[in-house]
Amino acid sequence: MTPNVPVISIKKLTKTYQMGDVAVHALRSVSLDIQAGEFVTVVGPSGSGKSTLMHILGCLDQPTSGQYFLDGKDVSRLSDDEVSTVRNKKIGFVFQGFNLLTRTSALENVELPLLYGPDPVSATERRARAMAALEAVGLGSRYEHHPNQLSGGQQQRVAIARALLNNPSILLADEPTGNLDSRTSVEVMDIFQSLKKERGITIVLITHEPDVAAYGSRIISFRDGVITSDELNTRRRTARGELAELPEPLEESA
Amino acid sequence: MLGTSLKIAQKALKRNKLRTGLAVLGMTIGVAAVLTMFALGTGAQQSVSSDVKSAGTTLIFVRAGNFTRGGEESRIPTGLGSATSLMPDDADAIARISGVKYVSANVKYRTWVEDGGQREYTQVVGADSDYAKQYDWSFVKGRYFRHGAVEDAEPVVVLGSTLRDKLFGDENPVGKQVQIHNQPYKVVGVFETADEDQSDTAVIPYTTAQKTVGTSSIQMITVSAEQAGDATRISQDIRTLLRTRHHLDNQPVQPAGSAALGGLQMPGAGSGGETPDDFTVKTQASEALTKGLNTSVAAFILANMPQMDQTNSQEMAGTLSRAGSTMTALLAAIATISLIVGGIGIMNIMLVSVTERTREIGIRRAIGARQRDVLQQFLVEAVSLSAFGGVFGIVLGFLAAVVITQVLGWPAEISVTAVALAFGIAGLTGVFFGFYPARRASRLSPIDALRYE
Repeated sequence: MTPNVPVISIKKLTKTYQMGDVAVHALRSVSLDIQAGEFVTVVGPSGSGKSTLMHILGCLDQPTSGQYFLDGKDVSRLSDDEVSTVRNKKIGFVFQGFNLLTRTSALENVELPLLYGPDPVSATERRARAMAALEAVGLGSRYEHHPNQLSGGQQQRVAIARALLNNPSILLADEPTGNLDSRTSVEVMDIFQSLKKERGITIVLITHEPDVAAYGSRIISFRDGVITSDELNTRRRTARGELAELPEPLEESA
Repeated sequence: MLGTSLKIAQKALKRNKLRTGLAVLGMTIGVAAVLTMFALGTGAQQSVSSDVKSAGTTLIFVRAGNFTRGGEESRIPTGLGSATSLMPDDADAIARISGVKYVSANVKYRTWVEDGGQREYTQVVGADSDYAKQYDWSFVKGRYFRHGAVEDAEPVVVLGSTLRDKLFGDENPVGKQVQIHNQPYKVVGVFETADEDQSDTAVIPYTTAQKTVGTSSIQMITVSAEQAGDATRISQDIRTLLRTRHHLDNQPVQPAGSAALGGLQMPGAGSGGETPDDFTVKTQASEALTKGLNTSVAAFILANMPQMDQTNSQEMAGTLSRAGSTMTALLAAIATISLIVGGIGIMNIMLVSVTERTREIGIRRAIGARQRDVLQQFLVEAVSLSAFGGVFGIVLGFLAAVVITQVLGWPAEISVTAVALAFGIAGLTGVFFGFYPARRASRLSPIDALRYE
């Protein structure tokens, strides 16, 4: 991919929900380019339309009008199968509510993307790769635990391991620290920052907290469905350094 | 991928065991109904065809004498059975008619049978060596006497089980001596039959009986037709043959109508001037119809039922199988309804399951599951439910067939085809009723599914 083709390019994107008689304009003609390797944080109050933007970027929802080019390809022209493959291969999701399958072990949760890939992967390989991903987020010993036996931070790390299993080029995170305490939040941000640095993954992170937004390399402010500001972050926080200064964590409940 | 779907289905179904169990139960009943239906249908068919094949419906009785022998004017039936017009040669001649399977000459008389102090007054039947086959007797002890015993007029006897009970109780009489009319006979077998009258008889070679009675003639010839439908034609052939052999005349016999009735006719019904038969030919159908009736009433009935000769046992078999297929149709309706109800149960459970797991569907879709992956997952789940139902239904169907056979006495036969068909129908029901919920699940928008609370 040539550097001047943005990974994500949206043009005049609008999304309107019909709530009874009232039309709610979640996105009002938003245009945006994101280059490969950027760590973009989108900040705005709730109801500003940032989650809607995120769902459209993740191919989970379709815009009312406007275009979305992913790697230069118009997503609206893809079939459902192709879009599913995009979600499987190219995009990793991290949600505020973790969205892990309940009554399913951490390992099986992480394996999921391999089940739905276009190429079949043997059970042994699935297990090996999922195990490696879990170890990478420091949860190798808890692979058999079910989500309800894990703390919020651990669940989010399982979700991150799952999101990264197919080596996506884009990671979309929707309020990933919304349900986490401050130290765990910093840990999660550390993972994101190192992903960008080590793997060059493009990250789009949505948050309503300016503190969290400050970890990104570019901050986009959102309000009432329009972008109010879009600037490179000159005073970037680094999670690694902050972690070192924070007091040792209390033992996490397993 | 299918293996994974199976795993997921197994897990989902285990999650709510009671619900799964109830959905399976509905299917179980449906499949059991299908299987029972097949079992009864097959059983009924086999019993009908074995009825047709059995001796009972193919017998023709040729008796010496005729009802109207005393003269048509007097209407007095005389001479039947007591005439001496039938000879063993007649039986041999009848045996050569095409379509005749077995022929047995009979000489019967009533006398006492004695074992030690026990004396029973009963019917003694002199018969030929194929007589047991004609009535399809089963031998619980010993065997029927062979042809050699008939040729040599040996003093051997086989006893009906009722008579054996009276004389010997539970003892095995084979090899023992009994006295018949003060003559010693050796018991060679004990037979069982559903006919209570026969069960109370003693059967000896007809040659032996001839010697006892002191006659060279025979009273009756029992003829078995090869095929049930042939009885009418054979009776006619017998009549022609015997009229020739007895030099009655050489005129062509009367139309089939009265020929099949064994010469029974109302005065004036026959063509005048013809010498009457000195024998009577009756098929089992006409015999059954007039059993116990006053002879002239019987003659009247038969003469006024011109269709009688066509009511052969093949037609009776047809009536039976029509009744059988009516029953099968009724059972098929019940089975279909049970299957539909069972299928709706599965559909209902699957719809609930899809609603409950909307979020799971959303998560899977977000991770890259295609519509067809979701469709497959829920279809496999529905088919698993119905397949379990199928397995339990087959077990239940087997039990039902056994119970029906034992308690109600209806024949029920379970074939491999029926089992395979029942299982196949179960699977198809699962696919049919599982498709709508599965399709609904696959058509959910990923974001709506993810947001579902």
